[in-house]
Amino acid sequence: MIARATRAIIGRELTRMLRQRGRLLSAMIRPLIWLLVIGGGVGAMLEQHGSGDYQQFLVPGLLCMVLLFGAMLASLSLVYDKESGVMRMLVIAPFSHYWIILARTVSAAIAGLVQVLLLLAILAILGYLSLPIQFALLALGLVLTALLCAAFGMLIAVFSKSLDNFAVIMNFIIFPVFFLSGALYPLEHLPLWLKSITLINPFTYGVDLLKHALISNEAGALAPEFSIVQGIFIQIGCIIAALFVACLRFTQAPVMESLASILSCRRQ
Amino acid sequence: MQASAIECRGLTKQYGDVRAVNELTLNVADGSFFGLLGPNGSGKTTTIHMLSTLARPTVGSIRVAGYDVLKQPVQARACIGLVFQESALDRSLTVAENLHFAGALYGLDATTVEQRLAELLDLFDLESKREVRVAALSGGMRRALDIARGVLHRPRVLFLDEPTIGLDIINRRAIWRFISRLRQEHGMSVLLTTHYLEEAEGCDEVAFLRHGQLIGQGQPSDLIRALGHYILEIETDQPDYYIEQLSSELGTPVQEDERLLFAIQDEDFQFGALQQRLQHEVRALQLRKPDLNDVYIWRNQPTGKGEAA
Repeated sequence: MIARATRAIIGRELTRMLRQRGRLLSAMIRPLIWLLVIGGGVGAMLEQHGSGDYQQFLVPGLLCMVLLFGAMLASLSLVYDKESGVMRMLVIAPFSHYWIILARTVSAAIAGLVQVLLLLAILAILGYLSLPIQFALLALGLVLTALLCAAFGMLIAVFSKSLDNFAVIMNFIIFPVFFLSGALYPLEHLPLWLKSITLINPFTYGVDLLKHALISNEAGALAPEFSIVQGIFIQIGCIIAALFVACLRFTQAPVMESLASILSCRRQ
Repeated sequence: MQASAIECRGLTKQYGDVRAVNELTLNVADGSFFGLLGPNGSGKTTTIHMLSTLARPTVGSIRVAGYDVLKQPVQARACIGLVFQESALDRSLTVAENLHFAGALYGLDATTVEQRLAELLDLFDLESKREVRVAALSGGMRRALDIARGVLHRPRVLFLDEPTIGLDIINRRAIWRFISRLRQEHGMSVLLTTHYLEEAEGCDEVAFLRHGQLIGQGQPSDLIRALGHYILEIETDQPDYYIEQLSSELGTPVQEDERLLFAIQDEDFQFGALQQRLQHEVRALQLRKPDLNDVYIWRNQPTGKGEAA
């Protein structure tokens, strides 16, 4: 029974994503601009110094960027749903309320993964994926990073009253998380304060895991910086912690009651 | 004795200093149509939230469809249908997609949903809208679809919170016909809250809430009969004068600004005589049958009459 409900929640997420073609298109174009424009420019500069292939280096980070935008924004839409019909259906459905959080996390992660697969296909066609690729590790890295982004999106969503200022979320969460993750440059030689921030950013470990999968033969400065085991366990730990707190918060009686009264309020 | 669809005892909900619901005890018989009536802020919606597992009572016990909602909220929710004041539909999905989504949340398989969907769309004349997005439906259609959504899983107990608010009379009637059909076919119990008291006259039983407290309960016909045979309405610039003049023969009236309402107990009340006496002095004079609105107005008086009921 709960499986059917979860499937329906995932199905709804995908239907909505596919209907918003503009958003899907921009989700594909955004990383390609980074790859071709920034990657092309910085890559040309680095090549003169004899460094490795910068565009190849960018690919893992850009895959993670798609997950960050795709999965986290899908999770954050829970804040809008707090006033919408879907939430009314969900709170009175016959399963525990924490399941709303878990199912929405999984559906947001899947929405992110569909986008990332689309980008992988585009990158393969454009010739930006170079062998050897460790496919199992790539799959694991993508799934974990998608869940991580979705879980943290959910954590923000359950504590937010409104997302009136979407730019705030973009500027103070999504961009910093992306910039401070090793997606754009290696972390090793960063100043200490900057490096400390990147080390507590769980997204960093997702990017690194994908570097292992995609550019493991990259030598020197552009190589992965953490071990695979480290990446996997830190991510799993962060996912569980974020979901635990999100579920706990969402199912607290006063939180659920204020949600119920928002849902019952007649908008004038 | 019939089993109860809803049974709550000593239900109290305290929000800080405010007591939204105060020691409410209700018993809704299985299969019955129950009206919970009262003005905004009287605690109706809070009561529905507690009965439908969305809010925890500060004190009190609740059983819905035989389940203790505090200990078995999931089982209780499986037997409940709830239609909120606001639409519980996804505007970006089509009519059919919405009902399939709602059905899946209750674990219904696609075939069952499809079958009920066809039936419900037929009933509400929405067949042609099957693949239309909810955002493109009219208010009345959306409400109809919302109720169809609320009963898709054939709940034993249906909560309707102001279901017909903002709807025109034709849609209101269609919705009431549908609800009465469901009650007949599936023996579903219904708990209704509404502002339109005339809609509650079809209820088997009504309860009036004020400041979270029960101020009267009974069958609408009994309550109306207990109030009196007629209601005499007088509109005048000098209400105080007429209260003094008429109270001795007609009893204490209810005063609403410049309008006085007298409950007339005497079946053979001589309206003609009174009319001749007053017609040149007062702005309007009317004798009519009492209805639930009157019961409600009397119940809301500090020195309420009709407590005998």
